[in-house]
Parts: sequence; C-alpha cells; structure tokens
Amino acid sequence: MRFELKVALRYLLSNRVQSALLIGGVAVAVTVFTFNAALINGLAEFQIQRVVGSSAHVIIEPAKPAPAVVPGRAGAERLTVSQRSLERRAQIKQWRTIANSVENLPGVTAMSLNINGTGLVSRGQMTMPVTLKGVEPSRLSAIAPVDDSIILGESRLGLSDILIGKKLATDLGLGIGQPVFVQSDQGRIKTLTVRGIYTTGVDSLDARLGYVNLETARVLFDLPEGLSEIELKLENIYAARDVARQIATGTGLEVSAWMDRNQRLREALEGQGSSGSIIKMFTLITIVVGVASALLLTTMRRRAEIGIMRSFGLSERFVLSVFMLQGALIGIIGSIIGCLMGYGFSLFLASITTSSGGRLPVDPALGQYQSALLLAAAASILAAIWPARSASRIDPVEAISQ
Amino acid sequence: MSAAIMNKSLPMLEVDNVRKVFVDNDFETVVLKGVTFNLERGEMVAMLGPSGSGKSTLLSILGTLMRPTSGSLRMLGEDLIKLNQNQLSDFRNRRIGFIFQYHHLLPDFTALENVMFPHAGRVGRETAFARERAAMLLERVGLKDRMNYRATRLSGGQKQRVAVARSLMNEPALILADEPTGNLDRENADQVFALMTEIQRETGTTFLLSTHDRELADKCGRRIHMRGGIVVSQARTAEAPVLRVLDKTVGWQAQDSRHVS
Repeated sequence: MRFELKVALRYLLSNRVQSALLIGGVAVAVTVFTFNAALINGLAEFQIQRVVGSSAHVIIEPAKPAPAVVPGRAGAERLTVSQRSLERRAQIKQWRTIANSVENLPGVTAMSLNINGTGLVSRGQMTMPVTLKGVEPSRLSAIAPVDDSIILGESRLGLSDILIGKKLATDLGLGIGQPVFVQSDQGRIKTLTVRGIYTTGVDSLDARLGYVNLETARVLFDLPEGLSEIELKLENIYAARDVARQIATGTGLEVSAWMDRNQRLREALEGQGSSGSIIKMFTLITIVVGVASALLLTTMRRRAEIGIMRSFGLSERFVLSVFMLQGALIGIIGSIIGCLMGYGFSLFLASITTSSGGRLPVDPALGQYQSALLLAAAASILAAIWPARSASRIDPVEAISQ
Repeated sequence: MSAAIMNKSLPMLEVDNVRKVFVDNDFETVVLKGVTFNLERGEMVAMLGPSGSGKSTLLSILGTLMRPTSGSLRMLGEDLIKLNQNQLSDFRNRRIGFIFQYHHLLPDFTALENVMFPHAGRVGRETAFARERAAMLLERVGLKDRMNYRATRLSGGQKQRVAVARSLMNEPALILADEPTGNLDRENADQVFALMTEIQRETGTTFLLSTHDRELADKCGRRIHMRGGIVVSQARTAEAPVLRVLDKTVGWQAQDSRHVS
C-alpha cells in the first residue's frame, strides 16, 4: 500500500466519528441524488410510455406543397402568402409502395393505414361531433391497444360497424348492436351498428373518437384511392426522429416523430429534468462544502504534525496527497454507500402500491448511479484541494513552535 | 553530494556571517546579526544562550527549514543557499535529523511507524529495510518492547527516545536538537542525553544541540555561546565522560551494518 494512503486511512480512522459523519453526509447527498434521478427519470419514462404506448411513434402525412416562388434579386426579402388548396384533398396517393417499403424498415414493429375525418354521430334528436378513424380491421390494435380497451361488445370491424368510446355511448344512450347515423364532413351519410364500446381512460378520446373500417371510411370521406396518414410503431422510441427524417427524405412526405408532436410532454419533461438537475447540483454543492470544511478543520488540528513531516523533509506533494486521498476516500466510500441506499430506497418506494392502486413512477434502474459515483467522488476530491494545498504550505517552523 | 560526503577533509557545516531579519509590518527585527562558526565531523556541540539569543532561529536555518536573510551555509561542501525548496526537502530528509524539545511524535502511529516515517514518506512505502532499521533503532534506544505501542501510550522519556530513534532513521550526517531534554525530568534528561552521546560516539554523527542545561553542555565536546544574535564565545570542553545509564542488555551488536561512517 502506498504510504500516503496508509497515512490518509489512519487519519480517517483516528477520528472515527468525524469520518463517519462525513461519509454519512456524502452518502445521504448521493442517496438524494440517485433517488431524485430514479424518480425524475422514472416519471419521465412513465409519462413517455403513457403517451407512446397508445399513440404512433412516427406519423406519415401528405406533403404540404411548397408555394412556387418567382426568383428575385439576390438578397432581396420575399414575402410569400399561400392559400391552402380548397379543390384538392390532402392525401397520400402512392401509399401502397410507401407502406411496403416503410413496413420493412429496420426497427419498425407495427404500421397502421388510416383515413381520418370528422363527422357527426346522431341518434334520434341527439347529435355529437366525432373524429372518425378508418383502419384495417386486422391492424385495429397496431397503434393503440383498442382490443384491450373494449369493455362492451367486441372489437370486430365489419363494413357497417363502428367502435365508440364509453362517454359517447353514455351521452347518446347507445348500447351494443344499436344503429347510429354517421354523417361525414364530406356530406356522406351511413347507418352503422355499434359493435364495441371502449374506454381509454382519457375522457376527450372516449367522447370524440370512433373507429370504422378503412373501406367504410373511404366511402364516408370520399377517398377512393389515397390515405390520410400512415402510423408507425418502433422498437426504440428514441429512434423516432431518425426514422422520420429517413422516411421524409425518401418520400418527400410530411413525417413527424412523437416527441415533436407532443410539445406539452416535452416541456413537462424538460421542466422536470431541469428541476432534477438543480437538486442534483445542490447535493454536489453540499458534498463540496461539507468535505472542504471538515478537512480544513483537520488540517488546522494537525498543523504541528504536518510541520513535523515537513521537517523530516517530506515533500509538499506528500502532504498534499495525504489530504487529497482523505477527500477521495470519503467521496468514494460515501458515494458507494449512497448509491446502495438510493437504490434500496427507490426499490422500496417502487414496490409500494399507492392508495389509488397504482405504483409510484420510481424506476430504481434509472438512478444514474455511475454519474452519481463519479460526480460525488469528483466533488469530494475537488473539496479536498483547498485544505490539502493549505496543509502542504504550512510553514514547519511556525507549526512546530506552536 | 555523495562525493562531497565521502571527502573527509570537508567540514560538516560552515556557517559564515549568517543574518536573519524578520520583517513584520515594516518593523524589522534582527535576530541573527552575522553568525560564523564551523562544525567538524563527529563533533558534539552544545549551543548555549539566553532565550531570544537566536538559538532556535539558527537551528531552523541550519536545518534548512528557514532561509537566512544573508550569509552562506555549506554542509559537507554543498551550498545550501543555492538549493530550491524541493531539493532542500530532499536534502533535509537524507542528511539532517531533528530532535525537538517537545517530542512531536505523530499520535496516530506506533513507535515503529513513527521511526520509519521519514523513510517511508520519501520512498512511498514501508520497506522491509525500513522496518528492520526502525526496529533496530528502537532496540538501541531501549524500546524494543514498546515498538508497537501507539505514541500516545508512551511516557515522556520514552517518547523523546523514540524521537531520537526517528532522527537517526535516514542515517543523517547532522542531528540538530533544540533543547532535547528541556521537557524531561532530571533522570529522563540524563538518559536521553547519554543516549545521544553514545550514538554520537558509535556512529560518528555530528550533533548540534541547544540547551539551557550547563551540566549537559559541559559533557559536550564544544560549547558555543550566543547572545543577541551573535556567537560571543566558543570553548572546547574536556572530553565528556561516557554515561552508561541504558539497560546493559541492549547491546550495540544490533548496529546497522549498512551504516556508512
């Protein structure tokens, strides 16, 4: 063992209470750090999963045609005003080729071909606005787990079937097997039969969204050829932007990733992330202040001993190493204990079922233990620099004569 | 440096016109006003003088813990004024041993570890050689059975004897002792002094010790009197009688065979 290390250890062991308090302090700070990370990241993961679990990761939509611009003088400012075409319906016409190639892209796990539109659902004198989603019956649950959310009836989608949300069913007093009139925004009217009633847990969806067969939607929305959108699910949700960019480049269509469609989620995650970072920063500051002040006191108390070491001709570097090593030992031992405590605490909280029957969104695996370990050890070593330097500069004559 | 040490014609220490002025807030205190003397190899010299005569400052300067304001200082031909801080540390570590009035043992270490410290701290680990030599030195000062005692568990006289052993660890050419018996009772003072005298005779190490104790000073080969920052007189004494107060069973056969005298 290096002699400096032996001396550092001996010093830490000689004042067990102070060392235990210091290590304990670092451990608590690291516990807060890791638990905070497990909570913030767990919460973020929970929110993301909730969003991406029931929605598309990548959505391909018709291209928004760029307005033609007459070339002008170089550097001149141009103001363009474009009006959306009212004659042509926005649609993906060559969807068969696109769907074929997109479905075979690596990382794509599911695909849904949709025709979307708005309309009115009426029964008797009651009329409610709805968003209708026309899907292929075989791919009904490719994006959202519609199959699993059916609470009444079944998820079969025949040509004259419709699946509606629980809220809409309640509002219109509809039950399984009952007919409804559906009028699309293209003016087409069809009588459909309620085949299933589902609940997503989100009231606005349960009140407004209805699923119909893709072929039925073609008729309702007057789209004999094209599609309104192609939805994709990916194996790795964080690859969504890359996949979207790839498809956009290849097809020229409007392609968006889930993170770009959910600004609120992104803002929420960013807000949580930065508040988490602030907490982490404070834990590190706590470590620096605690370790620095304690080591500074130690160097004061050991002035004469340091002076005597210098008088035997031991170098400033030797003294510096002894005190830096004390900081490092406190940091490393404290942060290992802190990581274990943070993991244990997160594990414990993650195992508790809340009063509402759910779980706390703490994910013990996301405690950022490596960075906690590295940062806490670095903070302790950083904290030791000042005391160690002041120790190494003690004037032996002055220190010994005291 | 080693060549100079082997050159037996060079004096151990040449102190020439050493001055030390302390400046504190534009207020100058001249502590040493031009000290000149030589120490020959193997001498045991006592430095006497009232408090404030500059003895401790001179010892600090001779021990390279402090730089003189002016004057020259050579040890075995080496000009100590020219060395930088790191070179001085290394020089001090290898060539000079210190014994202080207060033992200044490191309380968290055993007697053996305290003795080894100057060696282990330099080489970075506790070598078998250092352990063996430290054990031998502790045996020499009569503390073989206290080797693994923490410094705090030793008596005042024992601590000072450990300090003597520690000063010898790196086989220094010169030992500087600042009132080494000042904190001890008569019996312990005599024991420690006798020990130093014996070691000086056996190893040929040069000793310079400051003391207020005239009785002990008379047992040294030479006395240097200081007053007001200068050497006022130097006198050779009759050869000091050898005291044998140590346990007779502690023989000198354990003397380090590697010692270069």
